Amino acid sequence: MAFIKLNDLEIEVEDGTNIVEAAKQHGIEVPHYCYHPGLSRPANCRMCLIETYAPPPGAPPGTPAVPGRQLATGCTTSVRSAPPERKLDEKYDAIVQTDSPRVIKAREDILEFLLVHHPLDCPVCDQAGECDLQDFSYRHGHDKSRYIEVKNVPPKKDLGPDVLLYSTRCIVCTRCIRFCDEVSGSGELGLINRGSHDEIDIPRSHEGTPIQLLDNKLAGNVVDICPVGALISKDFLFKSRPWFMEKANSICSGCSVGCNVTVEYKTDGLYRIKPRFHADINQHWMCDDGRLGYHYVNSDDRLQLPLKKIGGEQTTTQWSDALTLITEKLSEVEADDIVVIGSAQGTNEDNYVLQQFAHDVLKTTQLGLFGQQPGEEHKFPQFTIEADKNPNTAGARTILGSANGNVVLEGDTLWEKVAGAKVVYLVSGVPDRALEDTEREALEKVEFLIVQDVLPSEVTELADVVLPGTTFAEKDGTFTNSTGWVQRIRKAIDPPGEAQVDWEITQQLAKQLDGEIDYHFAGEIANAIAENVEGYGDATHQNIGNTGIKLA
Amino acid sequence: MVQEKRILYEHLDVPNINTFDVYRQHEGYTRFEKAIAEYQPDDITKMVMDSGLKGRGGAGFSTGLKWSFVPKDIEPRYLCCNADESEPGTFSNRYVLEKNPHLLIEGILICCYAMGIETTYVYIRGEFTLGKKMLDAALKEAYERGYLGENVHGTGLNINIYTHPGAGAYICGEETGLIESLEGKRGQPRNKPPFPAVEGVFMKPTVVQNVETLCNLPFIVGNGVEWYTQMGPTYGDGRFDPPKPDPNTGTKLYCISGDVNEPGVYELELGLTCTELIEVAGGLRGEEVKAVIPGGSSAPILTHYELDTRLDFTSLTLAKSMLGSGGIIVMNETRNIVDCLLNIMKFYAHESCGQCTPCRWGTPWVRDIVQRIADGDGRQTTITRPKFGVTESGRWGNTGETEEIYEDLDLLESVANNIANVDTMTWNTICVFGIAVSWPAVSYMRKFRPEFEAAIRESKLVTLPVAEATVPPEENYAYQQRFIPKEFSELQETTED
Ligand SMILES: Cc1cc2nc3c(=O)[nH]c(=O)nc-3n(C[C@H](O)[C@H](O)[C@H](O)COP(=O)(O)O)c2cc1C
Ligand code: SF4
Ligand code: SF4
Ligand code: SF4
Repeated sequence: MAFIKLNDLEIEVEDGTNIVEAAKQHGIEVPHYCYHPGLSRPANCRMCLIETYAPPPGAPPGTPAVPGRQLATGCTTSVRSAPPERKLDEKYDAIVQTDSPRVIKAREDILEFLLVHHPLDCPVCDQAGECDLQDFSYRHGHDKSRYIEVKNVPPKKDLGPDVLLYSTRCIVCTRCIRFCDEVSGSGELGLINRGSHDEIDIPRSHEGTPIQLLDNKLAGNVVDICPVGALISKDFLFKSRPWFMEKANSICSGCSVGCNVTVEYKTDGLYRIKPRFHADINQHWMCDDGRLGYHYVNSDDRLQLPLKKIGGEQTTTQWSDALTLITEKLSEVEADDIVVIGSAQGTNEDNYVLQQFAHDVLKTTQLGLFGQQPGEEHKFPQFTIEADKNPNTAGARTILGSANGNVVLEGDTLWEKVAGAKVVYLVSGVPDRALEDTEREALEKVEFLIVQDVLPSEVTELADVVLPGTTFAEKDGTFTNSTGWVQRIRKAIDPPGEAQVDWEITQQLAKQLDGEIDYHFAGEIANAIAENVEGYGDATHQNIGNTGIKLA
Repeated sequence: MVQEKRILYEHLDVPNINTFDVYRQHEGYTRFEKAIAEYQPDDITKMVMDSGLKGRGGAGFSTGLKWSFVPKDIEPRYLCCNADESEPGTFSNRYVLEKNPHLLIEGILICCYAMGIETTYVYIRGEFTLGKKMLDAALKEAYERGYLGENVHGTGLNINIYTHPGAGAYICGEETGLIESLEGKRGQPRNKPPFPAVEGVFMKPTVVQNVETLCNLPFIVGNGVEWYTQMGPTYGDGRFDPPKPDPNTGTKLYCISGDVNEPGVYELELGLTCTELIEVAGGLRGEEVKAVIPGGSSAPILTHYELDTRLDFTSLTLAKSMLGSGGIIVMNETRNIVDCLLNIMKFYAHESCGQCTPCRWGTPWVRDIVQRIADGDGRQTTITRPKFGVTESGRWGNTGETEEIYEDLDLLESVANNIANVDTMTWNTICVFGIAVSWPAVSYMRKFRPEFEAAIRESKLVTLPVAEATVPPEENYAYQQRFIPKEFSELQETTED
């Protein structure tokens, strides 16, 4: 640990901490643009200038430290514990000042330079409200401009499938370039021209036709890290002011990595998904499949009422009607003729209640696990997108199989079993799930197929009863990722129409059959899981908290 | 009349000196042979340190001291020869490359031997096509004669030299910009520390040295430290008490251009005055000297009052200017200083690498302000500073005095100082290009303020007579604090008394 004097504070920080981070840990803002904790540090924006102290050159030991002649950049000034003879003022490992008159003046000067060519089109800029240039100008800048010369107006550019560049707003911090070099390793971005004509661009032919688009699967992150409104997501362009949206901390449901995300929404649906820092899982990043994969939640086609099949046609019906139909059918057949299938898209809670329903109420031990078909794995220098496109395969598998005697069938064995069953209760919730021939044939043989899902699909088409369930954005619960992290998702919006949270649907079915399942909120189920599922002992509602918990 | 003292340029005009055989006839490679025969590598480092040799590329940093910073336990180490000579007004390296490339190779060999370096890159300015051709030809010969390559001259040393052309960016002359460019990246200077001596090319210890600096080495080794230190003054550094010897030893290739009768490169002992130098270059062309740029376009300008300044590292630093690259540009009474500054600022605005905020956007701003003044659009306002008191009519009222404010001159000075502050010598930029911008901007404006004011007042460029255009010495910030250094020997005598 290093003991430092920061302004008037005496603080301790880990060895190797830079001043921007050290100050942040103690609530002091050192404004910065080019510095990003997940990237290399070129110190080119010169915004985080601070005053560092050292004994005057050539002075005898014990002389009090004085401010250095030059200001230093806070992002590249790291502190570490010094040997006794090198301590400053006999006790400090470093003395820094982040608010001396010199520093304050330097910040004003840098901000003035940053704004000379800036269009200041905040009223039509997507970034307004979450813009570091706005915020720091407000807190540390001048109130008027001395610049009366002509401004540079570099062109707006289409960089790739989701990224637009408003070059005029770019402050050339090079975060986006460094991201593509260091994290995605794809290197699509670079600087063209020189000096005040610096522009970010992708490789282009002499005529300007793109040679390489910014189309790697992590490209969306450059929009997040751009401190200004230069890099803009086409998906979000002009959709909402950031301050009009609510935020919910959640987990991406796109694959088994389990990136921590913030879901931003209004009452009418989801607006965007942004990564949230998790040191051991996704750092600061997420992939574009996850980022842009939320649209199905907002879809007009979402299942809003139960459906039942009459004479080969599915028609909408009441919940009471659908539930009665199902429970009648279930009580007609033997336990051995029922197969209950959980979902790797569902939460641990959904699957736990489902498992209880099967084991305790239906007395069947034959469970299955359904989910999205595997996709491709993509490896980047500092990030991996996994091939398993479900957020909760690990959790669903363990939890479905947790009760005495339960077997969880997957793949061909599952479909063999399904083909011979009379009633199948399939909880899907997988958007765009196409069926393989064996899967379709098996499901077609089922006498009475109950499908709980969020969108009409090849699976729901075959169902005798369809129950409208919910997506990750409409419920609370937990997912277990591929490395054993149990993490919480939070409800953002209400389910569409009369769709219901999946475990609640299962619980209602259980109640109709006089089963004793009676939970009131997801946390209660999490605690039941902690109590009853092996390995989940620590994963109580309280323990999971905001950062999740890693299973032993 | 001062005589040229040709050391580096002694054989420059010998026909075919660029060929190995002719170079060999003129003591060629004998100094390198002497170095390996008579001295250990550390002896050479010590000789260079004792010789007081200072880098000729611009910064004037002690070469021996720089070598002493290089960690000897990290392999490989590199030598980078800076032949990117692009400072306006500077053209001395070019002659060495074009006419006597073997001298540079010999200098490189000595440096490599002293520092245990096997690989040298010569980064040559892209426009120097002839220079590169001549050097490449000389390298070929040196390889053929066994002075380069494996087991050089039977000594067991392996030394290779590669030439690398620049692509036309001034900033690639800055040592870390050069290194980045050499590594195949955009020529953008690195943050320092670490300095190249510790982490340079491919993140390995690297000595970066100007062509002229390296060309001094054969003579230091060949003729000895004593002989070398007799050239040029050694001052008692006025900044320290007791005085430390501050050597300005050796000769300098002064590139004299502008309003002189015989512009060109002149090799002279360090320590001559501006006036003497103009004389060497055939005298002034025109009636009187208006201004002299002493060390390439980045150096603060000198007025005709300052012509007695000696053109060496110490004296110019104490006169708040610098010897820089030794590019001396003389201006006579016909020159308009606003126009000169505009010319220089256009160059810097074009050459800023654009990496860091103050320089990227400050430099073109400075250019635009000067452009506006030169176009006759400079802003001037008359203001009355409010002051409450008894007016002439005996009432209370505003008794403040009316003042002419040259808004754009204040703005010019403020913007330049925000890039790099000339008075405190601090900069918020990554490299010292920032100070290379604000130095001329501020010094021209402060020292020739009447000409700037006239351009604004009359809405056009006005070239004033020299005496009127120049700020008198008592108002000249640099002249006021000027410190004339004393020779170390003189100081020692007085202390002995
Ligand atoms: C903007 C800038 C441009 C420079 N251009 C050159 C140059 O063209 N040639 C050169 O030798 N040194 C140049 N330098 C100085 C180098 O950074 C470096 O100090 C020098 O090459 C070291 O060699 P020396 O010690 O032998 O002088 C430049 C420095 C700056 C800041
Ligand atoms: S980038 Fe920021 S300061 Fe610039 S226009 Fe957008 S919101 Fe305004
Ligand atoms: S586009 Fe954004 S992230 Fe990229 S350099 Fe410009 S300001 Fe920085
Ligand atoms: S001061 Fe200018 S030249 Fe130097 S790094 Fe910054 S932008 Fe580039």
